Amino acid sequence: MNTKLLKKLSEAVGLGHITDVREIAKAELAKYASVREFGSIGLIAEINNGKEKTVMLEAHIDEVSFIVTHVFESGFLKVSNVGGNDGRILPATPVTVHGKTDIPAVFASNPPHLSGENEAKTADEAIIDTGLCNKLKDIVSPGDYVTYDRNFSEFSGGRVSGKSLDDRAAVACLIEIASRVYDKALPVNLVFCLSEQEELGTRGAKTAAFSIDCDEAVAIDVSFGDAPDVPPTKCGRLGGGAMIGISPILNRKITDKLTTVAEDKNIPHQFEVMGGTTGTDADVISVSKDGIPCGLISIPLRNMHTPAEVIDMADLDSICDILEGYLLSGGAL
Amino acid sequence: MKELLLKLCTIPAVSGREEKLSEFILSEIKGFCDALVDRQGNIICFKKGKKRPVKRVVFDAHTDEVGIIVTSVTSDGFVKFTTVGGIETAVMLCRGVTFENGVKGVVGMKPVHLSSTEERKKYPEKDSLYIDIGAASKEEAEKLIKPGDTAVFDSEPVLMGDRLKARAIDDRAGVACLISLLKREAEYDFYVTFTVQEEIGTRGAQTAAFGLDAEVAISLEATTAADLEGVAEEKQVCRLSKGPAVSFMDKGNLYTRSLYDFALSCGEKCQPKAYIAGGNNSRAFALSKEGLSTLAVSLPCRYLHSPSCVADLTDFEAMLPLCERLLCAIAGGEVL
Repeated sequence: MNTKLLKKLSEAVGLGHITDVREIAKAELAKYASVREFGSIGLIAEINNGKEKTVMLEAHIDEVSFIVTHVFESGFLKVSNVGGNDGRILPATPVTVHGKTDIPAVFASNPPHLSGENEAKTADEAIIDTGLCNKLKDIVSPGDYVTYDRNFSEFSGGRVSGKSLDDRAAVACLIEIASRVYDKALPVNLVFCLSEQEELGTRGAKTAAFSIDCDEAVAIDVSFGDAPDVPPTKCGRLGGGAMIGISPILNRKITDKLTTVAEDKNIPHQFEVMGGTTGTDADVISVSKDGIPCGLISIPLRNMHTPAEVIDMADLDSICDILEGYLLSGGAL
Repeated sequence: MKELLLKLCTIPAVSGREEKLSEFILSEIKGFCDALVDRQGNIICFKKGKKRPVKRVVFDAHTDEVGIIVTSVTSDGFVKFTTVGGIETAVMLCRGVTFENGVKGVVGMKPVHLSSTEERKKYPEKDSLYIDIGAASKEEAEKLIKPGDTAVFDSEPVLMGDRLKARAIDDRAGVACLISLLKREAEYDFYVTFTVQEEIGTRGAQTAAFGLDAEVAISLEATTAADLEGVAEEKQVCRLSKGPAVSFMDKGNLYTRSLYDFALSCGEKCQPKAYIAGGNNSRAFALSKEGLSTLAVSLPCRYLHSPSCVADLTDFEAMLPLCERLLCAIAGGEVL
């Protein structure tokens, strides 16, 4: 797995009209597939092998962020959540405000003499300090996006940390899979779908799945990774391999096939069992049009929706290995 | 001077581990003054001026910064730690850290999705925090770090207009100002101390002050500015862009009134620190031996002790002329 590419995808910004991530993914996928863009959906890359069956692999390209709701003369901003941010982590967090130009800023933290009780603020209650005072209104307006600012960092032992690994790690997987299979005699046609607005309620995938003709699909997303304060029953183990999703909303044959490939090839994997919807794009893909049979495979990830997300690169390799085997053997159905 | 401050803010120096910063300071001031390092690690400097002083003045800045120190490694390879100096839990969550040997990590936290409504409103207990360095086991983690290792929060200096966001502006602002002061020609002889362990109880200053025959101590510091949108004026302590803050009283010291009055009236840009909070090395100087006259000149700084301090560079630039004015007035017998 290409760590350099993941670093690029993680540090770049992709949401709404800011298409930096889309451009990076487009340039990469264009090496292996024919790429087309959809305004509200994201990016679609096709490898048409002239086969009867088409398999879609899907990941989302957007990120949790904030949107400016008010600009103060004093250089501060009010924002609202775009996706599920944790208000507790915001004090002193560096961000980039995407106004007429990008400007660095930081979430204010209360000094100790004002902290009072141990009550955390929500994003809507927090303020962002730009340091710019009266010049600010010329650069920033309500409706501008604010994103986390964090350098990707490589830990020892193959683990990495950065912002937006949810779901850029999956985007990196899709690109890796494209590079592996584009020149092989695949028994299926392949569509890669990178969709927008997942963090706002799987909105991009809903329209994407409608517009793509495919016979089966696998969504790639992230799930909770093991950590001291996370109940062991609610997470996957970092380095434990791909998390194969099992749920009533997922197609059992696809799930079984993903499992068979992993078992046959001794690819590290673990299971994530859910009683209903999965909180991923698989929820909407599976009920698109007259129904698209859909599977789900997830990357265990720590500190989800924060600038300090952590994953194990080996888990990405497991996902690519399983999906490569899945495609080479013609999918599940 | 701005470049010097930016550089200083990138050198880690958690209390007790100030060596790298001290080396940098010594290399900067070499040839500009007499300097020695005492047994605690304080740098004591004597600067020869054109004239002998009526009152002997020492300017002080501390070299250390708040940070974290490893206490143990858990059975599954996570790192437990405690803070060195006062750091609010809120500013540590999901921050990147770098240990002395370059090992990277993040302060982990249960995702918001798995947290109850109650949990989302409260910061976690400090004791429950842990650092993830990517180790998959205790053995793997222990190859990378050991109890006693210190780390700082990752924060590259970033300019926000005339303002600087950086780690450890407290007290690299004071250090940068005093390096600059030592490099300039002086009217009167004076001392400078670059002291260790301020953040854990002004410990360096206690011994530095003991070894000097100074009569007046001026602490160069950074202090809380709470001039945030929505904060009542009387609770703002001091404001960015209004010049360095001079103190009449804080939680650790009552300052010499005539010095405070002089600073505010001498014509150099400054403002009162208008809230009784915090404390600094001047409390150690004030009670050293038979006692020194003291003043604190502080850079107003938002989000003090967080990885993302924000200060105004025009305030920073105004510290040096105020110091020179104070030196001339005190050493020349104009005040006190």
